[in-house]
Amino acid sequence: MMLDEDIYLPDGLPVAYIKSINTLVVSDLHLGYEGMMAKRGMLIPKVNLRSIEDIITKSAEETGAKSIIVNGDIKNEFSNVETEEFNEMLDLIRMAERLGLRMTLIKGNHDNFVDRYREAFHLEIHSQSANIGEYMFIHGERRPVIRGRPRMMIMGHEHPAISITNEAGVRERLRCFLFGSYKGIPLLVLPAMNYFAGSTDINMADRDELLSPVLEGVNVDAMHAIAIGYGSTIDFGTISDLRRAGPRAMAGL
Amino acid sequence: MFCIIERVESPFSDEESLAVLNRYVREWFVGNFDELTPPQRYAFKLIAERRNTLIASPTGTGKTMSGFLSILSTLFDKAVNGTLKERVYCIYVSPLRSLNNDVYKNLTEPLEGIYQIIKEDKGVDILKDNIRNVTIAVRTGDTTQKERRRMLAKPPNILVTTPESLAILISSSKFVENMRGVEYVVIDEIHELANNKRGTHLSLSIERLQSIVGRDIVRIGLGATLHPMEEAARFLVGMDGDEPRSCAVVDTSLIKSMEVSAISPVKDMIYTPEQRIEAAMYKEIGRIVKMSKTTLIFTNTRSGTERVVFNMKRRLKYKPEDIAAHHSSLSRESRLEVEGLLKQGALRCVVSSTSLELGVDIGTIDNVIQLGSPKSVTRALQRIGRAGHTYQAVAKGEMIVLNRDDLVECTVMLDAAMKKHLDSFSVSKNALDVLAQHIVGMAIDRKWEVDEMYNVIRHAYPYATLSKEDFMAMIDYLAGNYVGLESRRVYGKIWYDKETGIIGRRGMAIRPIYMLNLGTIPDEVAINVLELKTKRWIGNIEEEFLSRLEKGDIFSLGGKLYMFSYTAGSKCYVSEAKSSAPTIPPWFSEQLPLSFELAERIGEFRAAFAESLMEMDEGEARRLISQPSIKSIPKSAKAILDALPVNEYGRIAIFRYFTEQLLFAGEVPNNRYILIEYTRDKMADTNYIIFHSLFGRRVNDTLSRVVAISLGAMLGQDISITINDNGFVVNTEEETEINEDTISTLMKRVVAADIDVLLKGNIRNTEIMRRRFRHVATRSFMILKNYMGRKMSVNRQQMNSRFLLKALEEIDPNFPILKETYREIFEEVMDIGRTRDLIGRIERGEVRYKFIETRSPSPFAHTILTFGHADVVLMKERNDYLRYLHGLVLKRIGVKGRKGRG
Repeated sequence: MMLDEDIYLPDGLPVAYIKSINTLVVSDLHLGYEGMMAKRGMLIPKVNLRSIEDIITKSAEETGAKSIIVNGDIKNEFSNVETEEFNEMLDLIRMAERLGLRMTLIKGNHDNFVDRYREAFHLEIHSQSANIGEYMFIHGERRPVIRGRPRMMIMGHEHPAISITNEAGVRERLRCFLFGSYKGIPLLVLPAMNYFAGSTDINMADRDELLSPVLEGVNVDAMHAIAIGYGSTIDFGTISDLRRAGPRAMAGL
Repeated sequence: MFCIIERVESPFSDEESLAVLNRYVREWFVGNFDELTPPQRYAFKLIAERRNTLIASPTGTGKTMSGFLSILSTLFDKAVNGTLKERVYCIYVSPLRSLNNDVYKNLTEPLEGIYQIIKEDKGVDILKDNIRNVTIAVRTGDTTQKERRRMLAKPPNILVTTPESLAILISSSKFVENMRGVEYVVIDEIHELANNKRGTHLSLSIERLQSIVGRDIVRIGLGATLHPMEEAARFLVGMDGDEPRSCAVVDTSLIKSMEVSAISPVKDMIYTPEQRIEAAMYKEIGRIVKMSKTTLIFTNTRSGTERVVFNMKRRLKYKPEDIAAHHSSLSRESRLEVEGLLKQGALRCVVSSTSLELGVDIGTIDNVIQLGSPKSVTRALQRIGRAGHTYQAVAKGEMIVLNRDDLVECTVMLDAAMKKHLDSFSVSKNALDVLAQHIVGMAIDRKWEVDEMYNVIRHAYPYATLSKEDFMAMIDYLAGNYVGLESRRVYGKIWYDKETGIIGRRGMAIRPIYMLNLGTIPDEVAINVLELKTKRWIGNIEEEFLSRLEKGDIFSLGGKLYMFSYTAGSKCYVSEAKSSAPTIPPWFSEQLPLSFELAERIGEFRAAFAESLMEMDEGEARRLISQPSIKSIPKSAKAILDALPVNEYGRIAIFRYFTEQLLFAGEVPNNRYILIEYTRDKMADTNYIIFHSLFGRRVNDTLSRVVAISLGAMLGQDISITINDNGFVVNTEEETEINEDTISTLMKRVVAADIDVLLKGNIRNTEIMRRRFRHVATRSFMILKNYMGRKMSVNRQQMNSRFLLKALEEIDPNFPILKETYREIFEEVMDIGRTRDLIGRIERGEVRYKFIETRSPSPFAHTILTFGHADVVLMKERNDYLRYLHGLVLKRIGVKGRKGRG
């Protein structure tokens, strides 16, 4: 769907495409996730990188984008770059090269120590925030210092989702974009790309359960939840509408 | 030797039995016992002949001695001729640590006694001939490092252990050397193992042990009776090729005589006020306790146990030193203390949830009271068997019932118990998660050729039919083939060379991983319940219970009602509920399911009893139940009731219950006749479709889903269901028109459905799938609880199981861990096999169904509906509702109610 005249959200994918700068924007990849889980004893299969590569390939082919902005948390481990992360990052960057995508990284809280790979990977790296074209990209872990008058702010970090309970009481959780405004500037929050990562149910959570300090300055209830899933991307209306729809109607019993 | 499972029907004479024993052992036995007990008359000789033997016998019949004496005899033969070595000859395995300690004590005494006799006989020769005593030691998770080291240096001749410790011992490279000469394995409480994964695990350990020893080990099984015994025997002895190994089966479980009765505390269970019913119930309990020296009360639930103890002190003035509670939430120390007091005979009464069903020696119990149905004949017998400490004593048991369905159920159950018609059990077959553990264990022990390993595994009866495909899929998974080559170092647990077909150990780390993570009992999470707004901690609920909660459900906790909002990790958020009744009973997870066989028997009773009531005409029936008494019951109906173990109030209540149903609906559903009742509940302003299907809860659990999915597909709606032992309720959207045609189309769809596919699609997204998946993934070593020196919290184990499930599905929808999760749910939680049979019988017309429409729920629907409305703790609420429903019924059938009178 078109978010506005410049931003396109490919159906069913956690990706935004910006026409004016011909770029894809994605967030919260957490590469090396399975490797980190394996260290803790959860030997889960490796699907994250493959799924991310699929999504990026599809979006690049659909839009003809020439660059990609990773809006923070490309990798998972806080403290250092692990071997698994390194290998996966290398795979991802090679794939981007194959697709003709120039990569820009906005560093997130998990992205310490990636600077040392700037040269080797030909990465453009910004710390926490960057103005590119008319847009300001932030990871979202800190309150931003707004420079200039951006057309829109785009952030990650929050891993937003909404929960919908159907008539029979089965709860469905959908990852979503959030679209609202921060101090008068339009704000788009991207869903996480990571296959396994948990997310925040925005329509169920209290304000103090939200991760990002950026959202403290936002009327979250007035934000639109644009949910993705089952091959579609659909605006579910505002968070306050979703809250009102509330718990399932009590079954007869 | 030919392979056969043989029931040994006639005992040997005492002379014959004693003649097989070593003279000192015999002398000790004759000096300490007057006679042989019934199981001993079979067992001494059979075991002396080194035959595999399965013995079923009640507690108090010298069961342990019957299994052990012939073994002691051969060990003392060795001792006397100086060939007894410092190594393990006999392994005793029981599922309970406390039982291990009992057995240790109970064997130490005879060992000392027999050695004393030898000493007296031999004098100083005992040193010259180097005659040592037979040694015994306990090895469990509680055994200290120091004791373990000592055991390694000086292994006991008899090793007493648990299934889990045994699995560790056979993979410990040093200790296993002490077990190469094992001749006997004794499995106690086999009925607690044969029907679950712990037992499956043990069966593989024993086959592995036998393969280490290199020749047949004599296997002895002890336990309460199991039906069919032949299946239990196959579980014990395993397979030799395609045939079970031979086994002698001794069943002396029926020797105890019983006096049992179902008791309705009042004549009228509907209109007697709740306080009066409760008072009558405690009066009844008081009467029984007074008559006996020690009474054991089973309440089925932990909360019930606490409540009964409280009320007995308050109402019946029992002092704290007279009465005690015993359930699994209590600390180990307090449970041991209660068991100790029982053994000393110091208590008048002990109240237990289910924890005292198991075989720990609890001394003299005169009487067993059960509050509410134990849901299976076998369990009822086991509990009643706790009474009467010797086998000559009469076991007395009463079941005090809580509602009219309970009354019918308990009456039929006790009748079946008297006739020894038991429910059947089944062995879990081809459980892939348990298999995973043993493949890893075997790979640690040594290198294997693929087929050689496959064959050892198939010697275990639960794996006799394991397909080569499933086995190889498991090898693939364990070799880490589901991740890329570079990660196999971490993910792979075994090493497998496709070219040569050789399986072996991968890396050094795998041994401690295996030792620390083996076992089949899943960790359970205590879920913290917090108030949504204030984040105030309210209490804990079980994870199983949480898995049944949906947003908007109301449940009671600590005496207050809360509405469930959402869950995050191991926290559950709720808000205080305005409503007056919970939508989910809090004891749901603790509730025992009604067995299939018992449900069938209740169905048969329903058919026969309803038939006997047909001789009344309508007017007569109305007259008789408006003032019912024992004299008003028609002759042929009375004859049926008089043959059943139920008190007079109970007979009246059953008569009235069935007559009301006949007058109201014209039909009494039974096991060959499913009544599908479409009705309206004015109070809740809802329509229900009630399936009176009496096939046990596991079948109802399965069938109700098949029906709901089919109906949902027909109507394009979400359908909610409520499941009960005696039927299930289906709710559609308000305006939906349901008529005979809808139901007949629905039943055609049900009959035509591929229920496997249907159910898989349905349970994929449920909490139970996620929870069971986590258990299976943990047992299969995909999620390691204990890894590299750190323990993973259950909370973390729980994390993201939804995505993990999806990821595995993408790799292969038949991934072994997924396959096992579905198998466990279909075969152990639900009962897909019997449901398939049932649907086949419906298709062939052997089970009929009929659609009726009622203006308010028929009497037989009341308990089915009430289950979803309230719970036992808030009996008052439930009684209000029952009374309301019943009022409606009486109005329709034109009987004047007796409101407010007891």
